[in-house]
Amino acid sequence: MLTTALQMENWPQTVDEFDPLIEATQDELVHFAFYRLGNHDDAEDVVQDVYVQAFRDRNERRHITGVRPYLFRMVNNRCIDVLRARSRQSGDPVTDEPAIGENAFSSVAAREQAETLSRCLESIPEKEAEVIRLRAFSELSFAEVADAVGSSVPTVKSRFRYGIDKLRRLLCPEGGTRNELPRR
Amino acid sequence: MTDLFDAEKHPSTESVRQHLEGCPECRVRFEQEQQAFDAIRPAQRIVASQHFKERAIKAIVREAAREGGRSKLQWNWRYWARWAAVPVAAVLAFLILPTLPIGDWWHSNAAGITLLAQSVQAMSKIQTVHMMGRMRTLPGDNFELIGPNYEFVPLELWSEYSNPPRWRVEKTGRVVVMDGRSSTLYISAGNEAMSGTPLAGFVQWLRPLLNPGGILQQELEVARAGAADAKLTDVNGVQTLNVRRKAHGDFANDWAKNKSIPESDHTCVYRFDAATKRLEGLQVIVHAGNENVTVLEFTNVIYNEAFPPSLFSLPLPSNVNWGVDPASLKPASANLNGPKEVASYFLDALAREDWDAVLQVYPVNRLSDEIKRAFGGLEVVSIGEPFRSGLYPGYFVPYEVRLPDGSTKKWKLAVRNDNPAAHWVVDGGF
Repeated sequence: MLTTALQMENWPQTVDEFDPLIEATQDELVHFAFYRLGNHDDAEDVVQDVYVQAFRDRNERRHITGVRPYLFRMVNNRCIDVLRARSRQSGDPVTDEPAIGENAFSSVAAREQAETLSRCLESIPEKEAEVIRLRAFSELSFAEVADAVGSSVPTVKSRFRYGIDKLRRLLCPEGGTRNELPRR
Repeated sequence: MTDLFDAEKHPSTESVRQHLEGCPECRVRFEQEQQAFDAIRPAQRIVASQHFKERAIKAIVREAAREGGRSKLQWNWRYWARWAAVPVAAVLAFLILPTLPIGDWWHSNAAGITLLAQSVQAMSKIQTVHMMGRMRTLPGDNFELIGPNYEFVPLELWSEYSNPPRWRVEKTGRVVVMDGRSSTLYISAGNEAMSGTPLAGFVQWLRPLLNPGGILQQELEVARAGAADAKLTDVNGVQTLNVRRKAHGDFANDWAKNKSIPESDHTCVYRFDAATKRLEGLQVIVHAGNENVTVLEFTNVIYNEAFPPSLFSLPLPSNVNWGVDPASLKPASANLNGPKEVASYFLDALAREDWDAVLQVYPVNRLSDEIKRAFGGLEVVSIGEPFRSGLYPGYFVPYEVRLPDGSTKKWKLAVRNDNPAAHWVVDGGF
């Protein structure tokens, strides 16, 4: 669950303070970046770059409260840069590179789903997709998503509502609900 | 209604839920939105690799060093120690590497890459695959569950690469069918069923096996990058490729270690047909302590077999107990704020035989008589502290109960709240 690192009032200022922050946020940021990029190595590169940037700019960001949503904002922006660079290189916004060093079974399934989700969200306006990604690929609340995208909570909720309505029209023909496998 | 999708609980959600109960139009709309949202929630939790944090800290320390030295920062000696360890490790590697059989490894790796590339090409032309094998697991339990001490249970997969693709996975007591539009899971023991999209996680890590060519492609990319600990052998014309993997997940508590293949240190042994280069067999060996135990093996793989249409339909009993979406459960009468509270609520409800309360935290539409008989009226002996383990996105809660038949059960409940409504539910473990 949330640790004190995630509830920090102010931006961490020392390497010591970054340690618990990384411990507490690394998995959720890598998870989010993976489902944006479809590649585990790229996801870790992006998140590492963000931590370094967060350290480099620590003085300027000293006043920022809500460190966690801001890190998501930074990761999201960096992912957009990576996707744009890929798009320039190949014309394809989603790479098909493997997650090198990953377990072959689980990474094939995860990459497959990341690509499917990416295609699905490309079919709705980007501002709506951005809010839905931040809510669906993380455990951020709408208030935190608002911090992450630099908008008001009502705007975020309305983007979510319009976006999910479009997805509903796209996805409902498949029918049924998606359930996680219970571990019983 | 949007507040129902928030990670935070809102005071308004209760009144919205009450409205949904009395308004079929809004309820259908909400259920469809819920389906859409669930469909785009990733089924698999991705975590940072084992040494990621260490690498990130080193990168920050490097950044700090660029800024002008230690005096500006309140560094901890531990970071200096870790940082200093890098050149030492580099020197050791320089001394040790020449003693390794690099030539043999390179030759084996190059031959392995060639074989994998040939196999990937051969596998790209198949229309169907039918794999028969066995797995050390519990009948009726999760498809991903393994245990080095469990007996083998038969396992069978059928996959048809049509448009849309269709597949079926079956083991004793549990079957999943994906008919091209949706997937359905049926568990015979509890007469329980669940429905989901084609990507629903009912078969979890077995799913990639439905496209063995995809796995080989993945192994090929890994081998080309030199990132796999792989070994190729050729005995009497039978070529096998062994690829060793480390366990994934958080094992500060090792409860989930070796309970699934991704959560175990293991070796995949791929066996190829010498003539066609197709995958002919697969074996997974788990390295648990000093023991190497085969937990999964497919010994019979048939390609391009014609499947009857009935294979991809799953008739269900009329009285089947349907699993329900955790987010759509009625709120529990108590305010449940954590894993221990939901475990306590669930066990107390079973003790009181209050089935309505059980259904507030256990996502099925009704309880089977088997569950009622086995657990109704139990006595709670103790409930321990929740912990995380492995790749499971929720918590495990230790408990001990005395069952109505007089026996004592000491195990761990699996509880989670990673659904859009952040509703705490019991996911298994009883």
